[in-house]
Amino acid sequence: MTKALYTEQEFAAVVKEAAAREAEQTDPGTVADVHYDSTQFGLDRSQSAFVRNLRTSLIVDPPNGKLPPLSAEGQKRAADRAAERKRMGATTDAVQNMPVGSRCLIMAGSGPPMMTAGYNTNYQIVQGAGYVMILVEMIHDARIIPIDSRAPLPENVRQWMGDSRGHWEGDTLVIETTNLNGKNPFRGSSEHMRVVERLTRLDASTLGYRFTVDDPATWAAPWTAEAPMTKSVGPIFEHACHEGNYGVRNTLAGARAEEKRAAEAAAKKTPK
Amino acid sequence: MRKKEECMRMKHAVVAAGVGFLLAAAPVRAHHAFSSEFDINKPLTLKGTLVKWEMINPHSWFHVEVKEPDGNLVEWMIEGGSPNSLIRQGVTKNSIQVGMTLTIEGYQAKDATSKAVGRNFVLPDGKRLFVGSQSTPDPAPLK
Repeated sequence: MTKALYTEQEFAAVVKEAAAREAEQTDPGTVADVHYDSTQFGLDRSQSAFVRNLRTSLIVDPPNGKLPPLSAEGQKRAADRAAERKRMGATTDAVQNMPVGSRCLIMAGSGPPMMTAGYNTNYQIVQGAGYVMILVEMIHDARIIPIDSRAPLPENVRQWMGDSRGHWEGDTLVIETTNLNGKNPFRGSSEHMRVVERLTRLDASTLGYRFTVDDPATWAAPWTAEAPMTKSVGPIFEHACHEGNYGVRNTLAGARAEEKRAAEAAAKKTPK
Repeated sequence: MRKKEECMRMKHAVVAAGVGFLLAAAPVRAHHAFSSEFDINKPLTLKGTLVKWEMINPHSWFHVEVKEPDGNLVEWMIEGGSPNSLIRQGVTKNSIQVGMTLTIEGYQAKDATSKAVGRNFVLPDGKRLFVGSQSTPDPAPLK
């Protein structure tokens, strides 16, 4: 897709198609069917507030709307990560092999950049003396961002959501983040990723959100995306992810039970 | 600038992330792979009495008492979706009552215990649970 915006007509068709896809029922006995129905829990897009715009891509720079190619270092790291995952074995072999989101450590959407977590992608933004705080609903992470021009943390202090500093440029809150620990990569990013986010109030219910990702260790060039947000019906609810995360236990227990059944079946076949 | 700073200084600026349509084309993903937890080869239909609903994250759990053919009562735990969106739409722990009859169409856990994912939660009148809750209309597209 090379053009930046849909026409109103094309947009209506895309909306209709997306709604139809979500309302579509999965076929029994398929992997997709082994799941609760999002529409029955208000988690589908037709029951959630979000900003619609005519853009064909979130990416505004490069102008073709596509991510820049991976740098040589980025390609090598992607290959290394794939090899490491292979060496570690299946995600069901050990809890350490499971994605960080499944383990309730951090969820997509916590940022930076703050992108959709699939559902519950809600933020509460508060400014106090010297700080802006962004509370992220998914796994209730809080981004505490000094806006008092203090020095950044030393380079060797790495954090899950990095180290952020904010300042105002006219109507826009600019947040710059470095010092990520690289354990929650964003689309394959490295710990050296630098993210600059720009938040601008567009009207009473819309917040402009634009971010630039600069990570030569991953992409050949910096890139910029726009994902405006809309006012939600408050408050933010506690997510308390560990509290009910029986899924980890069930998944590991299921894999061990399957291994046991397979071993028993193999033993029966083996002549004594 | 001062005025605009004031404007951003909202006590409760609660916003939902926008989703571009390239992203919206992807299916809504759950927080873990359900097909690793539940067995695609063990579909089931359970009818029983709701005895407890754990409105917790990352996923709700419904406790349903099911009468076995031999007359014994077995408590099944059924996994459903995160409650946050429901609460935002006005659903509370009182919206469905303990004691009501639920029919669950789903898949049993791979560890073969009395747990399942609820593909469909069906009410006595045939309606699906929470479908058509009060929804928030999306604003018109930004230009």
